[in-house]
Amino acid sequence: MQRAAAPYFLILPSFLLAAAIILWPLKEIVSLSLHDVNRFGMLRDFIGMEHFRVLFADPDFIAATWRTLVWTAAVVLGTLIVSVPIALILNEDFYGRGVARILIMLPWAISLTMTAVVWRWALNGESGMLNSALRGLGAINTNIQWLAQASTAFPMQVLIGILVSVPFTVTIFLGGLSSVPDDLYEAAATEGAGTWDQFRLITLPLLRPFINIAFVLNTIYVFNSFPIIWATTGGGPANSTDILVTYLYKVGFRLGKLGEAAAVSLIMFAILLAFTIIYVRLAMREAKT
Amino acid sequence: MASKKCCLRAAGTRGLKMTIKQKLCFLAGAGLIAFSTSAFAESTVRVTIAEYSKGTGPYFEEAAKAFEAANPDTKIQIEVVPWDSLQQKLTTDISAGANADLSIIGTRWLLDYVKEGIVAPLDENITPEFRARFIDTFLTPSVMDGKVYGLPIAASARAMYYNKDIFAKAGIDTPPATWADFKIDAEKIKKLGAETYAFGLQGKEIETDVYFYYGMWSNGGEIVKDGKSGLDSQAAIDTAKLYKSFIDAGMTQPGVTSYSREDVQNLFKQGKVATVITAPFLSNQIKSEAPELKYGVAPIPAGPNGDKGTYGVTDSIVLFENSKNKEAAWKFLDFLFTTGQRTKFDKIEGFLPVNAEESKDPYFADNADLKVFTSLLPNARFAPVIPGWEDIAQTTSNAIQKIYLGQGEAEATLKEAAAKINETLK
Repeated sequence: MQRAAAPYFLILPSFLLAAAIILWPLKEIVSLSLHDVNRFGMLRDFIGMEHFRVLFADPDFIAATWRTLVWTAAVVLGTLIVSVPIALILNEDFYGRGVARILIMLPWAISLTMTAVVWRWALNGESGMLNSALRGLGAINTNIQWLAQASTAFPMQVLIGILVSVPFTVTIFLGGLSSVPDDLYEAAATEGAGTWDQFRLITLPLLRPFINIAFVLNTIYVFNSFPIIWATTGGGPANSTDILVTYLYKVGFRLGKLGEAAAVSLIMFAILLAFTIIYVRLAMREAKT
Repeated sequence: MASKKCCLRAAGTRGLKMTIKQKLCFLAGAGLIAFSTSAFAESTVRVTIAEYSKGTGPYFEEAAKAFEAANPDTKIQIEVVPWDSLQQKLTTDISAGANADLSIIGTRWLLDYVKEGIVAPLDENITPEFRARFIDTFLTPSVMDGKVYGLPIAASARAMYYNKDIFAKAGIDTPPATWADFKIDAEKIKKLGAETYAFGLQGKEIETDVYFYYGMWSNGGEIVKDGKSGLDSQAAIDTAKLYKSFIDAGMTQPGVTSYSREDVQNLFKQGKVATVITAPFLSNQIKSEAPELKYGVAPIPAGPNGDKGTYGVTDSIVLFENSKNKEAAWKFLDFLFTTGQRTKFDKIEGFLPVNAEESKDPYFADNADLKVFTSLLPNARFAPVIPGWEDIAQTTSNAIQKIYLGQGEAEATLKEAAAKINETLK
């Protein structure tokens, strides 16, 4: 009996800490989302699901939800696809590898907001670096107004998102690659396996758990990522590049509708929770077989 | 606290025999007590300040020091916040009950604060002499239900800056008096080619809606009339079509929806747009960043019936109802609104004088740019006192962005937005 209780007793302190940090705010947000709230957070009448009803009737919210899914999928998958070859190259021993590694890691050292602000300048239509570079190369004749409409702004934001997610992902993969023993490749080579077969049959399966981790963590980060979109377009023009976080910020702090904002954050929480549970289930089932 | 405790314990265990170390400890403890008693007599006034420019923080620190020197029993604690995060900071501070005693807020938010009883009326402190310090136009926006809820810490209006070199090159002698004239001038400027655009049009972020109102007021429109949105009026529709015709003819910088107010001002400083409608602080920026630029300031063009309008804006400094140091806070307010302090501040920021005495200072009285701004004040419109101003601003901005982008036809888009605003106004 005592022995069975011991583990629970041992995790109690960290559970209490987590509860104070996570569960208490969660309770507060749930109560905000179910009440009429003034712009300074004072609760008034209980109104049940009214805030949720208003949200689901708002086309901007629905659009932002879909856009968030597209944004997350595009950035996460893009990052994984770009990061695998980069990690493979950086894992090879070549002259100047140290410099190459630093260059890839560099964006990580700069705050995300700073990166986004720099890109806002670079993408400026009249005096931006990107346009002047493209014009210098003769690729375009007239300036492209990158951030003026969603059709050019959003793809650029996805590219920036990928750029800043690569260092973290490559780091994870490099760690994974360093644990693959060299003799596996040597054995495969003597058996006549080509480079592609080695990658497909040795590297990829052994890298699998690391890809899983990178996938889950990136999804959570990117889904909640605020600075890139906020600093470049602020979710505009006309809400056409809003994702849920930027929508949440506008509703909460610009318009002062804290109840609705709380409802948005609960919906975001539910989406991420559902994603994580499904994914962990799948990963565990795979691990068992 | 901790050091006192250590003293007591040390004294208790060793009786009255004091070592040097103990003596030192005792002295430190005594000093601590002396310090804390003086801290009790002192009251601390916390002030939240919006950062208008890099001179804002230093100015208030200096003002606080000068005030403390004259009032040794009061300490002033200045907290500087960037404008963009001011709303967020105030919302979170107030909901946690951790707000400062005084804060700068946009006067257009004041109604929400007054309705919730968060800010205190200042009337009992305002003597007729104090009130007489102000230019009435700037004090009235902070008056609600006959009570003064804030003092205008910053005031500005809008006028049209124009690039004299570009105008001369295009053969234009005077700035346009009407929008029709402006269109003709724009044609001439367009012929200069070379990526010079006649009309710097803002289409992104804060005040995108206001940039649209300039034209709407000239056409005789109103933001709110008889409790209904004026966005579906003929004046608004005409203005949307007018601005769109500038965009379509290539007379504005391309991609207007990616240019915030600062971005358009930068284009003006670079000589890429011939005109921009903005606040007097651009003069200060040009002086330091583009001193070679030859520019003039003119009223915003008038409409076909001679209607004119400029946007008058004030920010207010308010006293919170839950402040425990109202008296000391008021004294600091009184100090901030003396002629000397106001003159210093408005010169640093390039704002309009709010103090009648201050406006006689030669810096303001003989300044050609500022003269234009002050001459426009009789026609200035201030943000209407309505709940949900930010909500309306966002709906309006979204609608006109759609029109600028060509994603919505002017009339239908504006009518839809007006219907939405009328819901908010109810």
